[in-house]
Amino acid sequence: MAAVAVHQFAPCITCHAWSPDRSMVAFCPNNSEVHIYKLSEDKWEQAHILQKHDQIVSGIDWSSRANRIVTVSHDRNSYVWNYEGSEWVPTLVILRLNRAALCVQWSPQENKFAVGSGAKTVCICYYEQENNWWVSKLIRKRHNSSVTSVAWHPNNILLATTSTDGKCRVFSTFIKGVDTRDSKAGSSSDSKFGQQILQLDLSFSWAFGVNWSPSGNTLAYVGHSSTIYFVDDVGPSPLAQNVAFRDLPLRDVLFISEKVVIGVGFDCNPMVFAADESGMWSFVRFLGERKTSSTGPKYGSQFSEAFGKLYGQSKHGINNDGVDNSRQRGGVHENCITCIVPLGEAGSSTITRFSTSGLDGKVVIWDLESQQDLLEYL
Amino acid sequence: MMAATVDFVEADNAEAIISRIEHKSRKIESLLKQSRPVEALKTALEGSPPNTRDERCKSANWIVVHRAIMAIKDLDALFSSLDPEYYDILMKYLYRGLSTGDRPTCDQCLRIHERLTERAGLGCILRSLADTMNTV
Repeated sequence: MAAVAVHQFAPCITCHAWSPDRSMVAFCPNNSEVHIYKLSEDKWEQAHILQKHDQIVSGIDWSSRANRIVTVSHDRNSYVWNYEGSEWVPTLVILRLNRAALCVQWSPQENKFAVGSGAKTVCICYYEQENNWWVSKLIRKRHNSSVTSVAWHPNNILLATTSTDGKCRVFSTFIKGVDTRDSKAGSSSDSKFGQQILQLDLSFSWAFGVNWSPSGNTLAYVGHSSTIYFVDDVGPSPLAQNVAFRDLPLRDVLFISEKVVIGVGFDCNPMVFAADESGMWSFVRFLGERKTSSTGPKYGSQFSEAFGKLYGQSKHGINNDGVDNSRQRGGVHENCITCIVPLGEAGSSTITRFSTSGLDGKVVIWDLESQQDLLEYL
Repeated sequence: MMAATVDFVEADNAEAIISRIEHKSRKIESLLKQSRPVEALKTALEGSPPNTRDERCKSANWIVVHRAIMAIKDLDALFSSLDPEYYDILMKYLYRGLSTGDRPTCDQCLRIHERLTERAGLGCILRSLADTMNTV
C-alpha cells in the first residue's frame, strides 16, 4: 500500500503544509482559520488555531529553514506567522490586491514568497529590514485571468504561473537588494523584475498546478481538459509534450524526481507519470488501489447511475453494492485531491514521501518505498 | 514537438475550406456505397476545421460527419479499426449530434458515446467539454 497514513481532520480541507521536522501539519478546514495539529504518540492533537483571516484561507506554506508560515486568503490579505514563545504571531502583509489571493509559495531561499490572485496579478513579497515589514511588488501585466498556481524555480528568481486563461508563464522576479546577480546563470539573472521569459499556450482550458523538476530544467502543469503538459529546456526554444489521459482532470502536480511526476485531482487517486530514456512522458499507473469489483460497474456507482439514465438501459442501474461504494472512486481519498506537498528534505532531488489533502477533509501520507515498479523510474 | 499558438482562419479562406469539405463529401459517399462506413467516418473526421470561427465551415463539416455517423452499423468494427487520435474529435461531434435533439441522430450518438467512453475514458469527454476554443 502506497498510502501509509490517513487522517480525517475536517469535513473539507482547502490546503495544507508541514512543519520543518514533519511533526506538525497546518491546514485550513474550509473556513477562515488555520489549524495546526501535532503528532504525539501516534495521535493527532490540535496544537494551535491561527485566526486572523476573514475568509477562506486558500494557501498555506511553511518554510523549512526559518520556520515561518505564510497564509493567504480570499480576504485579499496575507499574514506571515512567526513562532515566538509558544504562540504564532501574525504580521500582516499588504498585498494591494482587489481580488482574492489563491495560492502562495515560499521561494527556495525563503527570502521571498509569491502569491497568485484572482486580480490577474502575482505578488512577490520580500522582507525589508529597515522598516521591519514585508513589501509586495506586483506583476500586473500579462495574465488575462485568475492566477491559479505559482511555482519557484530552484534559482530563486524565475517563477512559473498558471492561470484560468489556459496559459503557463515564466517570469523573472529579480529584486535589487534581495537577489544577487549570478554571472553564471546567464539570461535569467539579466532580466528585470516582472519580465515575462516565456508563455506556453498549450492548453485550451483552465490551467492549474505548475511545478518545476528538481534541476529546474523541466516544467509540468495541468489543463482542465484531462491533459498534463511537460516542457523541457524551458527557455527560448522549449520542447513541449501534451499527454492526454483517460481519466478526470488533475489539480496539482509534484516532481518527485527528474523523470517522475505525481498528479492529483478529481479521480481522488494520485497518478504517476514518467519519462522514458528518450524523454517521452506517459502515464504509468494510479498510485492507490482502485475500487472496481469484477462484476461491479465500470466507473463506480455514482457515474454508472448517471450513465444508466443517459443510455436508458437498466444494466448499469443495478448498483446495490452497498453504501460504502457509493462515492468512492480512488479508494483512499473520497473526494477531489486539491493539494500535494513533498515530505523530503527541502531541495533534495528525489522524493519518495509526499502528502495529499482534498475536499474530503483527509490528509494522506504516501510512501513509495513499497512500490518497487515505480522506484525503478526514479 | 513545439506547440504553436492557434491561428484562426479568416473568412476568405472559408471558401477554400468549404470546397475541401465538398470534395470530402463525395469521397465519403463513394466509401459508403462500397460499404466501408468506418473509413467514411475517418475521412469525415480528418481535417475537421476546429480552428476556424466561421459557422458555415463548421456546419458544412458537421453535415458530412453526421452522414458518416448515421451510416455506422457495426460498433465493434468501428472501434477495432478507429485510431485513438480520432477519439477526441469524434466525441466533440457526438455532443454536437446530441444537441440536435433529433431522435435518430441522438440514438445513434448515444450508442457510439457509450462505447467511445468505454474506450477513451472520461478524459475524452472532459476534453470535448473543456476546450472552448476548438469547437465543432
